[in-house]
Amino acid sequence: MKLLTRYNRINLATTLVVLFITGIIYYGAISFILNHQVDKDIRIEQQEILNYIKQYNKLPPAIDYKDQHVTFYDIAAPLKRHYTDTDFYNKKENEYESARALIISASAGGTYHKIVIVESKVETEDLIRIIFIITIGVILFLLLVLFITNRFILNRIWQPFYNMLNQLKLFSLSDNKEIRGADSAIDEFIELNKAVEAMSVRVKKDYKDLKAFTENASHELLTPIAVINSKLDSLIQAGEYNETQSKLLADVYGAVTRLTRLNQSLLLLVKIENRLVTDEQEVDFKLLLEEKLSQFKELFHEKELVLHVDLHDKKLNISRYLADILLNNLLSNAIRHNYVKGEIQIQLDAEKLIIKNTGLENPLVEDEILKRFNKSPNSEGIGLGLTITRQICDNYKYGFGYRFSTPYHIFTIVFNN
Amino acid sequence: MKILIIEDERGLSESIADYFAEAGNICEQAADYMSAMAKIKLYSYDCVLLDITLPDGNGLNLLKHLKQSNDPAGVLIISAKNSLDDKLQGLDIGADDYLVKPFHLSELKARVMAIVRRKTFGGSNILNFNEINIDLLAKEVKVNNVTVKFTRKEFALLIYFLANKGKVVSKNAIAEHLWGDGIDIADNFDFIYSHIKNVRKKLEEAGCKDYIKAAYGMGYKLTDQ
Repeated sequence: MKLLTRYNRINLATTLVVLFITGIIYYGAISFILNHQVDKDIRIEQQEILNYIKQYNKLPPAIDYKDQHVTFYDIAAPLKRHYTDTDFYNKKENEYESARALIISASAGGTYHKIVIVESKVETEDLIRIIFIITIGVILFLLLVLFITNRFILNRIWQPFYNMLNQLKLFSLSDNKEIRGADSAIDEFIELNKAVEAMSVRVKKDYKDLKAFTENASHELLTPIAVINSKLDSLIQAGEYNETQSKLLADVYGAVTRLTRLNQSLLLLVKIENRLVTDEQEVDFKLLLEEKLSQFKELFHEKELVLHVDLHDKKLNISRYLADILLNNLLSNAIRHNYVKGEIQIQLDAEKLIIKNTGLENPLVEDEILKRFNKSPNSEGIGLGLTITRQICDNYKYGFGYRFSTPYHIFTIVFNN
Repeated sequence: MKILIIEDERGLSESIADYFAEAGNICEQAADYMSAMAKIKLYSYDCVLLDITLPDGNGLNLLKHLKQSNDPAGVLIISAKNSLDDKLQGLDIGADDYLVKPFHLSELKARVMAIVRRKTFGGSNILNFNEINIDLLAKEVKVNNVTVKFTRKEFALLIYFLANKGKVVSKNAIAEHLWGDGIDIADNFDFIYSHIKNVRKKLEEAGCKDYIKAAYGMGYKLTDQ
């Protein structure tokens, strides 16, 4: 529910309740005052009748005015004086109207008489009706005004908020766009804008620092790794080694190679994330894939993998360097996570590239495999291959997905045509 | 062969010098921009190994100087920056090749040999080693004048060994040379073994002596001693 809708509902309910209560009070007050007025008229009439009886010791003639009747009845004993609501027959209008009556008793000429003084309240009721209509009118008018206010003014007042929300939705750590709140005269929004702007600047700076740190650390590592590498190359020239020593050296070699790979992958990742690889050109993806397959030929043979290839022409506007890495990573994975005499299927058409390979019997968790440094327990890789692959896909807005369909692990890249 | 190593990292520079040091090779080292400039102004080299990030200057300026003075030396850039721009810029100015740190000394040697061969021997494309005779352009190997058929990778492997003759070449270096360092298959070098076995078998069948020897499980060595 929108804040505005919610606010409107509460506002409407409150307004209706308040107006309703006000209406009741108003009605009560006016009826009371008007009844009082009618009663006063009746009392004046009563006084006149009583004066008449006192003066002449007989009843005055019955009165039948337009809005007042006085009637007399003989009774045995005196009555208690009281007011009551009753009907009034208006002869002129030929209809009954609600009325107020005072019933008293008086003795005249030796007998008791009940005197009923009735006064029509029709004018009073007309008045109340008018007041009621005016009140309803005010309510409707108020609703209309509220509606218009909310629709046109509140929407405009909330504009800075929606503006900020849109920018937050589009916020990306890696781009260079800064969040700029729209101008507003409202304190809360000004504060919100300031807070979000400050936060985005701080977050971007932190992210940039972190990236710079990774990059610098990786760069700084290159030279010592290069020294270790060259010293190892020199060391194995140095002479005869027994089995234990050569095993040790081979292990060190392996570790240095992995360190090198890791370092290169980190640098590459930073470069791709920063979109520093910009040598886009038209690449014949089918040709490149064929070249890769021939490059990997020995690796397929080594594991005795069965290869099914179905390639159609596809040209892509992509950095050749990144296209190379993309295929290297996907093919390396398909080989490394396969078993001996396993199978690899590769399909390329205008829309997508699909690489299916046999391997572990259980599906992988898609979110997990894309995490940095996530790798299968028996893998000697460094766990950045798919991260890099996805980053490349992200850069070119390709869809990258994984699914498992026994017995194949299926990686799909949907090109952005 | 006269080589100048311009590299501020002593450890690396010395390893390179050691690796290249053999009969007939002279290796000189320069650890900073000024001494490197002094050396290239005074002497002439067959190949200059150039680190472009030097403490007191940009190595690319040394390259520019070499090219402006029409120095015939081949230039191989060794850089810690695996940046495409740097690479293209270096090659644009006239470097012959570009190698990113960290690298294997055997890879460096192979590249330097290729450069020197192109530059010094008048672009000769023939490589000889005892009874083996290789035409680099036609990618043809002859043993005792009989052509031996090699696959592309086997051919590359043989050239690699010849460039590093007398040196132990590690399996890691061979894998990277043949399959590129982008391929992350570090866990298994068995496929190298079968490759080398093929090369040896083909040479042997053609009546060639077995020059390639396994070296303590870490690598292989081509030697006629």
